[in-house]
Amino acid sequence: MAASIAGVFEENLKSAVETAKVLVVGAGGIGCELLKNLVLSGFKDIEIIDLDTIDVSNLNRQFLFHKQHVGKSKAAVARESALTFNPNACIKAYHDSITSSEYGVSFFKRFALVMNALDNRAARNHVNRMCLAADVPLVESGTAGYDGQVELIKKGLTQCYECQPKAAQKTFPGCTIRNTPSEPIHCIVWAKHLFNQLFGEDDPDEDVSPDMADPEAAGGAGDALKVASNEKGNVERVSTRSWSQSCKYEPEKLFHKLFHDDIKYLLSMDNLWKKRRPPTPLLWGNLPDAVAGCSRNDIESVLKDQKNWSIAECAQIFADSCRNLKNQFESLKDDDHLVWDKDDKNAMDFVASCANIRAYIFGISQKTRFDVKSMAGNIIPAIATTNAIIAGVVVLHAFNILQNNLESCQTVYLRPKPTHRNQLIVPEKFLNPPNPKCYVCSPKPQVTLCVDVNSMTVKDLEEQVLKKTLNMVAPDVILDGKGTVIISSEEGETTENNLKKLEELGIVDGSVLKVDDFLQNYELSITIVQRLVPKDGPDFDVVADSSQLKPKEDKAESSGANGASDQDDDLLEVVEEQNPNFTTADSKKRKTAGETDDGISKKQKTKDVVLVVRGEI
Amino acid sequence: MKFAILLHPSEIVAAVGDCGTCIQFTSYKKMVEINTTELTEDEAELYDRQIRLWGLDSQKRLRKSKILLVGIKGIGAEICKNIILAGVKSVTILDNGVVTDEDSCSQFLAPRDQIGKNRAEASLSRAQQLNPMVQVTADSEDVADKPDTFFGDFDVICATECPVEQLIRINQVCREKSIKFFCCDVFGMFGYTFTDLQIHEYAEEVTVHNIASIQDCEGPAKKIAKVDPVKVTTKRTATFVPLQDVLDVDWSSETYIKRLPKTDCSYFLMRVLLRFRSKCGHDPSPKKRQEDIKELCSIRNEVLAKLEVPVDKVPDELFSHVFAELSPACAIVGGVMAQEIIKAVSQKESPHNNMFFFNPTKNVGFVDCIGH
Repeated sequence: MAASIAGVFEENLKSAVETAKVLVVGAGGIGCELLKNLVLSGFKDIEIIDLDTIDVSNLNRQFLFHKQHVGKSKAAVARESALTFNPNACIKAYHDSITSSEYGVSFFKRFALVMNALDNRAARNHVNRMCLAADVPLVESGTAGYDGQVELIKKGLTQCYECQPKAAQKTFPGCTIRNTPSEPIHCIVWAKHLFNQLFGEDDPDEDVSPDMADPEAAGGAGDALKVASNEKGNVERVSTRSWSQSCKYEPEKLFHKLFHDDIKYLLSMDNLWKKRRPPTPLLWGNLPDAVAGCSRNDIESVLKDQKNWSIAECAQIFADSCRNLKNQFESLKDDDHLVWDKDDKNAMDFVASCANIRAYIFGISQKTRFDVKSMAGNIIPAIATTNAIIAGVVVLHAFNILQNNLESCQTVYLRPKPTHRNQLIVPEKFLNPPNPKCYVCSPKPQVTLCVDVNSMTVKDLEEQVLKKTLNMVAPDVILDGKGTVIISSEEGETTENNLKKLEELGIVDGSVLKVDDFLQNYELSITIVQRLVPKDGPDFDVVADSSQLKPKEDKAESSGANGASDQDDDLLEVVEEQNPNFTTADSKKRKTAGETDDGISKKQKTKDVVLVVRGEI
Repeated sequence: MKFAILLHPSEIVAAVGDCGTCIQFTSYKKMVEINTTELTEDEAELYDRQIRLWGLDSQKRLRKSKILLVGIKGIGAEICKNIILAGVKSVTILDNGVVTDEDSCSQFLAPRDQIGKNRAEASLSRAQQLNPMVQVTADSEDVADKPDTFFGDFDVICATECPVEQLIRINQVCREKSIKFFCCDVFGMFGYTFTDLQIHEYAEEVTVHNIASIQDCEGPAKKIAKVDPVKVTTKRTATFVPLQDVLDVDWSSETYIKRLPKTDCSYFLMRVLLRFRSKCGHDPSPKKRQEDIKELCSIRNEVLAKLEVPVDKVPDELFSHVFAELSPACAIVGGVMAQEIIKAVSQKESPHNNMFFFNPTKNVGFVDCIGH
């Protein structure tokens, strides 16, 4: 171990490394590499936490794990393997979520240094707040494919993780998904929604049937609509779930409704097809079995995931996966439901086949199961070398921090190709100072919430605004001036408020809410601005800098695309893509379908990181 | 007014999909042997996350490649780990040294209770565990005793821990046999890599703007033409020089004297350290820290005088960072080197031509072309 051999390090670094207590958050791609570097460097007091278990697809880079470890706790196995490199190290492993209330400010205060090796934004936000509250230096890092980034976060000295708004996830208008798809991703989102409608958590925003209220269809389509719904005896009024249950998930019947009747119905909305290629309804008994652009020989020749399926094959796979999912679903307890998971064979087969059938109907190019999995599962490619390089830079930062040399810890980027100055590992010139208007790390954090106080409930305020958008864990809310307790983090104390509208509790235009998250040691004041929900607009906007109180949806949307440009050295930010995040103006939108919000995040199994261009503050 | 695509059609090899998988396969069968051309379902599952990055074709090229790794100390262990995880066909680890206490700074493949045993053999078991699908072999002989014919069995040779004379010899053999040659070292927190692929053909993705719909500006609609960026793969060739040319650079020549002020200290530090290795028969030793720093200073004076480069190009302070092979530096330089090997084998993306340096005092890693 470097620190235990005299003459390797200079004296001050040697003693600092040997005595420092450090925390590694995450035992995945970066975490494994980091733990190796730490024990070899001679760190003796290390704690590591990860709630995940080992999967086969981790083994190409998370080298502390081998095939026999699949299914076991990442933190525990990482600890065991790293101890073989340095049997003298003391490593404590937690198989747990870092956002759990057991890991409060006093837990974080025990460490000289915290190193994040996370894969999702929610956990990064949380650790950021805990380290700010405990005033412990945090080294934040992330990778995506060939790109990577390492950044120091120190209260008062540098930007915090939340100083700059992160781009929101890409979303699509509901009518594009339900009525007029034009790209493969539209069909994939539709197929995932269909999965949830049939077997998953019921979400009214994930309706898959034709959208009669499509503004584009207005005029001329009204008569057709009436006729259609009469003929069908108001089938549209019955939820997709109850309808499928009533026909016992019979694949042929499902197929007929989804890919024939619903398509016929869409065709009746003839305004939609004036400038578009109209869709082609399909009949179960008469499906094409040729694959576009392939001879029969080619089809037989590749890995199952890599080949293009004919529509007949799709229908077969659809039928098989439906039957299997029905059995899985029916074996659950009464109120329980399936959660879509890209690694579940049937769930993935279902989405791949449905998306391809729908793509065929609308004349959209088809995708292999491999490609559908990338898009539906929001998979960010990951390789050993990038993680190794980034973990190396993290430990060099750690050395500097322990020697109190924080000024040398500029943000460092790893680039896929050398920059115009031939740099591959690129440090910034200076530390980025804190954003004085940051709603997390500024001395008096505040935001403005634009909302219709007559329609938002207290429950929505807690779940959608405070938890989902502002990333709090257990908020308490008091109406300033009056002292009314709106939300209490104590179980049951304010349950009676849940369904009340904000206005009923005296929250009106100009009200100020004092919000306190005890776990995060985070206080925020929220100024309410009354605003009616705009048609097709978001239910609410949260604005950090009140001088920017104007709609900026376009900007937030356009910067949220996958794999954004990485040309500009200073604009990159490694963030996780799965959870929608705080932006200038974005949240759950009416008639807007989330591309990526899926069962993975619900299971807290998010693991994938993507590079996006940092939205301007 | 109309738009046109400004790319010569002969340069376009194939249009690529979202995941870069442009290759159609001709035969598929369920396979057991490693030697066949198609990937098995097991391999596809294990390598899923990297196939999504570099494509199936690259993965197939990787699993055909035979690699010789000369020297398996800290940086050797990192490279070994990375290329075994990537899924090459075989890795031969050649090292005649023994496991030392100092190896514990970064050599994680040799167990701590193997001190005094041959380093290659001690590393074999853990290296193999990283990926059972790769053939890993240990060879405890001295690379200097290996005949030229020995090297002919490999597609790639990566040499670490070698005296510069040996590097030049292996490089020469590689040139004769058209083997891709790499070498690299880590000294303390500092490191370099060198690449000689001779004449190397590779595919590179470039984004061109394709015209989806062409609209006449004079037309009544006056719509703007929709321009879609399309990724196309182009074929390119890079030419390399041998290590000897890198070392023979005349820094007093007109070309290089101009480059000198902008040239980082790293190249010259590398020259000093390689000279130290050849002269002293070992790398700077933590046990003799003060003594070796003195020796480094005097070698620096001698080397830089010979190169006609001012002595202050390599300040004394740098020598406090060159002891043992430190784990974070091995991870960084070994990560870069392994990725270059992967790129060279898969013949995808532009290789570093021809040196990479990591300077820990600035946290900067850069590519430099020296000796052309």
